[in-house]
Amino acid sequence: MPRIELINVTKRWGHFVAVDNLSMVIEDREFVTLLGPSGCGKTTTLRMIAGLETPTAGKIIIGDRVVFDSEKGINISASNRDIGFLFQNYALWPHMTVYKNIAFGLENLKWKKEDIKNRVNEVMTTLQISEFRDRYPSELSGGQQQRVAIARTLAPNPQVLFMDEPLSNLDAKLRGEMRTELKRLHRDTDSTFVYVTHDQLEAMTLATRTCLINKGCLQQYDKPLHVYNHPTNLFVADFVGSPTMNFLDAKAKQVEENILHIEFLGLKIKYTSNAPVKLKNENVILGIRPEFLLIKEDGSIKGLAYSTLPSGMETTVKINLKDTILSAVQFGAVDYSFDQKINFDIIGKGIVLFDKEAKLSIALGSCEVI
Amino acid sequence: MKTLSFSKIWNKTKTFFSKPANIILLFFTILLTATVIYPLISLVLDSFMVQSISEAREINEIWGTAVKKGDFTFAQWPNLLFNANSEYSLYFFWQPLYKSVLMALLACVIAVLGGGVLAWLITRSNLPLKKYISAVFIFPYIMPSWSIAMFWENFFKNTNIAASNGMGILQAVTGICVPEAMVYGIIPCALVLGIHYAPFAYILIGGILRNMDANLEEAATILKTSRFKILRRITLPIVAPALISTILLVFASSISSYTVPAFLNANNSFTSISIAMRGLIITAGKKGQGYVVAVILLAFSILILTINNWFTRSRRSFTTVSGKSGQVSKFRIGNKPWIKWVVAGVIVVFVSFFAVFPLISFVLESLQETSGNYASMTFKYWFSPENFDVRITAQGQSSQGIFHNYTIWKAFGRSVLVAAVVALIAGTFGILIGYAVSKNRRSRVANYVSSIAFLPYLIPALSFGAIFFSLTFKEGFQWLNVSSTNNEMSAVAICILVASIKFLPFASRSGTNAMLQVSGEIEEAAIITGCPWWKRMTHVLFPIQKSSLISGYLLPFISCMRELTLFVLITSSFSLITNVLQFYDVYGMNQMSNAINLLIVLFVIGVNFLINKLTGASIDKGIGG
Repeated sequence: MPRIELINVTKRWGHFVAVDNLSMVIEDREFVTLLGPSGCGKTTTLRMIAGLETPTAGKIIIGDRVVFDSEKGINISASNRDIGFLFQNYALWPHMTVYKNIAFGLENLKWKKEDIKNRVNEVMTTLQISEFRDRYPSELSGGQQQRVAIARTLAPNPQVLFMDEPLSNLDAKLRGEMRTELKRLHRDTDSTFVYVTHDQLEAMTLATRTCLINKGCLQQYDKPLHVYNHPTNLFVADFVGSPTMNFLDAKAKQVEENILHIEFLGLKIKYTSNAPVKLKNENVILGIRPEFLLIKEDGSIKGLAYSTLPSGMETTVKINLKDTILSAVQFGAVDYSFDQKINFDIIGKGIVLFDKEAKLSIALGSCEVI
Repeated sequence: MKTLSFSKIWNKTKTFFSKPANIILLFFTILLTATVIYPLISLVLDSFMVQSISEAREINEIWGTAVKKGDFTFAQWPNLLFNANSEYSLYFFWQPLYKSVLMALLACVIAVLGGGVLAWLITRSNLPLKKYISAVFIFPYIMPSWSIAMFWENFFKNTNIAASNGMGILQAVTGICVPEAMVYGIIPCALVLGIHYAPFAYILIGGILRNMDANLEEAATILKTSRFKILRRITLPIVAPALISTILLVFASSISSYTVPAFLNANNSFTSISIAMRGLIITAGKKGQGYVVAVILLAFSILILTINNWFTRSRRSFTTVSGKSGQVSKFRIGNKPWIKWVVAGVIVVFVSFFAVFPLISFVLESLQETSGNYASMTFKYWFSPENFDVRITAQGQSSQGIFHNYTIWKAFGRSVLVAAVVALIAGTFGILIGYAVSKNRRSRVANYVSSIAFLPYLIPALSFGAIFFSLTFKEGFQWLNVSSTNNEMSAVAICILVASIKFLPFASRSGTNAMLQVSGEIEEAAIITGCPWWKRMTHVLFPIQKSSLISGYLLPFISCMRELTLFVLITSSFSLITNVLQFYDVYGMNQMSNAINLLIVLFVIGVNFLINKLTGASIDKGIGG
């Protein structure tokens, strides 16, 4: 069964390094998202696994077959890697009908006519596009085109499915629906999915594991919620989560093995780390997720309501704390008037402490104002 | 260590050749270097070579040297450029060059003004009858430029001019005699060339105006900018690169035009640089000096290409604007509705005059025993089996009526053969180059191939012919020389070779444009399904861009059918239909040459129409892109 392994894969264009010495394993039947800002190398990575781009160096294994090895000169073409690829712009052939678009690939694989017919009808039924079989892509809406593209990709029963930002051209509502269906599709097809996105919400909600990439380097590769709760560095903490994590420059002093005293914006805090920590540098950054700022009347920290953004189910409150703007999330709809006084506390055991210089996370713990 | 580096190189090579685009690039790098760069170098070398015994004698006389045929010499250049001996250089080089530059400049102004204004009117105003005007306006570009020249002569010639052969239509109908300078010489040549290239300007500029995001102009309208100011400050600067391109391309084609000055040059009143060059190469036995002229014309063209590239490079960002909004509010011509109809009427008359009238004039001229004498109408030049001119029959050729004339039909057949094979080669090469270039946009090899493929466009047709003419004297290539083999198939073979390269630029341009418009993902989606390369080309890429790719075949075909300048050195007087036309013209058989002209123009327009109806391809798609 297809397990994908990348070993020290590098891609350079001249002096520009798109992917830098990337190693990762995608287990069989996983749904892995490659997540990162645009231009970070995630699409390049995907295209290299698919065989559409030739790596400068490294080794790629799909299943028990080495599909690329720069040392041994192995480079199996995309058509022989038994994969499916869903393109961002769908890449439907404009001069072929929906039926022909789906059948064309099967014809190239030399399927029997009867089998082609049955299989195309089957996938068209699965994706509910049977009524469009004789239409041309230009006669379909974006969502319908997307379904045709998925049907075309699924038709040859690929064991691995690659998707390059497949939902970014759809409107918000449709995108939500397609997300639900893709997740079902992953279970129904019983194959491995690799999915590129810059939308952290998509990565969080779909994936069994998510791989964060920045500037061609792997940042963290873990289950989505683990990435959310245990970011390894500042980039990951900042990129994952919406509204983003609050970052506060602070000075720390070791008191006990797992207790630090931290000062920021004139506040003094006792930080209790969940595990023993050894402080190397007094300059730290405190990372607080918005849900860990609890607004309540007897809260020990005093700020002003800078702006309130209620969305119905929840409300994002921007708090002005001595000219630093913090985000807090409150369940339900609330509306504070501008510059109203607000009291809040820092709660929970998921407050992250980063080393300011190395930009790496050094501890996870809870805070208490002293 | 050594084996490792070898295997690395081997791996790299393997990866390189696993992509069809790379193989194509390599193939064309070699092919185009051999067919474009090598002849260029050999032409330059030939201009430093003593070409004949008479040349050697002349050089030895003037310079006191002892060179013989085939020797290297620096004497050709000063002999042509700075020979004050009875003002030789002035008459054979400087004056023709000066006149040609003047003619080309005038032609540019006419083409750009005419084509540009019409493009603006068609895309940006409420002019009525747009469809008819834009369809008919293309005609002069489809027609051979010299057929317009012939029409010009047919229309304006008159009995007041000694060189005129009979009465023109204007005199016959109205009795008006225009002065000689309006019929023969630099002014009519420039006008005819301007009219021929105006559609070219119209297609280029109109293409940009059409693709230009109307929001750009609308944004200015909302900011209360006046119509005129929008045109001056927004539209013109955006169109400027296309405008400059047009000017340079028209200039490059006009300066070296051979046929138009050849037809509108009664009693040698106007010797253009290309006529001077042909004279040097063919008649005076001064091939070496002829090659010097060819090199100078070439240098002009390369300079023009460089300027053009410089302009389009620094401004390219403007031109690739295509927006969402399709319609701009149209400029209203005049404040009364009848004014626009008057404007349209004037344009229709003007356009029809150069598009429809020539055809009528060719018919009339082919039917008159004496030009201008409508009482002397006869069908004999079409139907009579008798030979009209013994001088022609003495050369073993026919001078019978068109339908009995084997000289004409054999040549016509050869022309169609040449045009069809050239279209096939150039069109297919164009698609392949377009594909390979679009797949390797940033690579240096791709850049090299695409500029070399465009270079032949700027090499003046006569110089280009001269390059291959000189080749046919070289060891191993003599079977291509029709005057030594006396076999017309030699001419056909070399014409196919020369024209395939000369007309490659159109095809590779339209191929590249078409391929760039198809997103790479379209092909990748087919790669993943295991579709082999040739099937991706024939089943995916070609059908998607069918109409513009077929234009890539159509353009070389049409250009080849009507070409004379390019072939004039490498053919005999009877090889191709255009040769035969010129041959009858030289022998004063006006009726025959007009009839042949009619045949060519109708054939070309017919093919264009047919292809357009069958496939949707048209020549403006090929150039405009």
